[in-house]
Amino acid sequence: MEEARKGTVTSLASLFPVEEAQKASKRMQDAITEKENELGRLRDFITDNNNLINLVQKLPEELNHDIMVPFGKAAFFPGRLIHTNEFLVLLGEGYFAERTSKQTIDILKRRGNTLDSQVDALEAMIKDLKAEASFFNVTASEAAEGLVEIREDYVEEKSIKGESKPGDITHDPPSFYEANEGKAATDDEEFARMMAKLDELEEEELAAESDNKSDNNEEAAADIEAISHQRLNNSLQDTEDFQPRIPLEHTNNKSTTMKLPEKYNRQEDITDQLNFAGLAVQSKVREGKNLAHNVEDFTLGKNPPSHPEAKEKAEAAAPSKSEAQHQTSRPSFDSHKAFTGSIVEHTENLQTTSAKQTSNSSQVSGSQPSKPVSRFKMQRR
Amino acid sequence: MDSLHQAKVQKFEEFVDQRLKPDLVRAIAERDKVFEQQKIFSDLRRNIENLEKNSVTSLRTLVDIGSEVYLQAEVPDTQRIFVDIGLGFHVEFTWSEALNYITQREEKIARQIEEYTQLIASIKAQIKLVLEGIREIIQLPAEKSLPERIF
Repeated sequence: MEEARKGTVTSLASLFPVEEAQKASKRMQDAITEKENELGRLRDFITDNNNLINLVQKLPEELNHDIMVPFGKAAFFPGRLIHTNEFLVLLGEGYFAERTSKQTIDILKRRGNTLDSQVDALEAMIKDLKAEASFFNVTASEAAEGLVEIREDYVEEKSIKGESKPGDITHDPPSFYEANEGKAATDDEEFARMMAKLDELEEEELAAESDNKSDNNEEAAADIEAISHQRLNNSLQDTEDFQPRIPLEHTNNKSTTMKLPEKYNRQEDITDQLNFAGLAVQSKVREGKNLAHNVEDFTLGKNPPSHPEAKEKAEAAAPSKSEAQHQTSRPSFDSHKAFTGSIVEHTENLQTTSAKQTSNSSQVSGSQPSKPVSRFKMQRR
Repeated sequence: MDSLHQAKVQKFEEFVDQRLKPDLVRAIAERDKVFEQQKIFSDLRRNIENLEKNSVTSLRTLVDIGSEVYLQAEVPDTQRIFVDIGLGFHVEFTWSEALNYITQREEKIARQIEEYTQLIASIKAQIKLVLEGIREIIQLPAEKSLPERIF
């Protein structure tokens, strides 16, 4: 029953007809022989070259050599070689250079090196062709044997009770088989692995790209993603710095971070309005912390409703109070956090100020998870 | 009947493709080789005549020792020349003897060329003939140009 629903069975022979595969392998064989002929020719050149090097080396050893001097292609004169250390070497394009024996040998050796590299390239090519040919042969023989390919499409959540286990198992392999439809069954596993790796790498790349983007846009701060990213980082720092507060850090942070966040806040007002749900809370927190001093007055005066700005201000009031009441280090801490402002931090603010601002907390708590609050409370105390 | 005709046509076509055409290609290649020889000997004759005209007694040339590397060579006595007479044999000739030999050789080469030309023509005629036979079997109308010849 299940098989009828899920699987499809295709014989390999229908995908790759035996004759076609054999034809392909024959063509590969032809290509290989052609390349091998070329290789043989190159090898001949190399031996010729080596012989010539030996000859050129030996010729200057004597003043003259008795030879038959060719006269046209079908006749000779008896004669002798003279000036045995003067060679006229063709450089190409009809240009000749007069060289000594030694210089000629250098030229010939360089020629030999190029020939060697050509031979290497050709050998690599032949190796590739042979691999291809063997692949075709295997495919042909498999098709002839009547091998079948079984494919099963992944159906999402078809059987809910079956849970994810069977789904997961079936999911990956079929997708790869689909991708490899055109290939022979033999290489499927390897291909699957390769595809998986490629996918992974691609994802990594994408992630890296987005990271870069966020870093670059930090200053612009128009990019919501960027900000949230940064916030996350900073929140991590904050949690680390949390309890062992160092006075130096406070002061430094105060001076440096106070300015930056302001920029953020202004732009984020816009972004917040655009998407309340996600970021409104965070931006509020930040603003609340950063602009605590500045906004305090406004917040109270302005309308309290559910509009994000209102919330921000309401919250802002809270940290500012806390700053004022506690120490000088407090504000710096807050501002630092504000910069990072994530949901988590928000909760922190709430904790510290919760006692003082009841109305604000009620507003904010509605939009925030209650869990982190308690956690950070614990940490604080 | 149809299948019989088809089999016949196929046989003829195979004969043309696998026998006559390769024969033709081979014959043409052979003839080209002979042409080459003809050129070699006509060059040699011209060169010897030049030597004679200029009454050259000694000669300096460049000898290719392989891969376009040349070396100077000297021929002290040009009176005697060794000429390739085929099958790897070389005969020592004087200039006049050499010229005499070359003329005879050239005649022979001309005859060979003639033979090959005949052969090529006959192969081409056979191909034509077989193709004509195929045409008759499948009963295509004859080409119009043939019957219109008037002498």
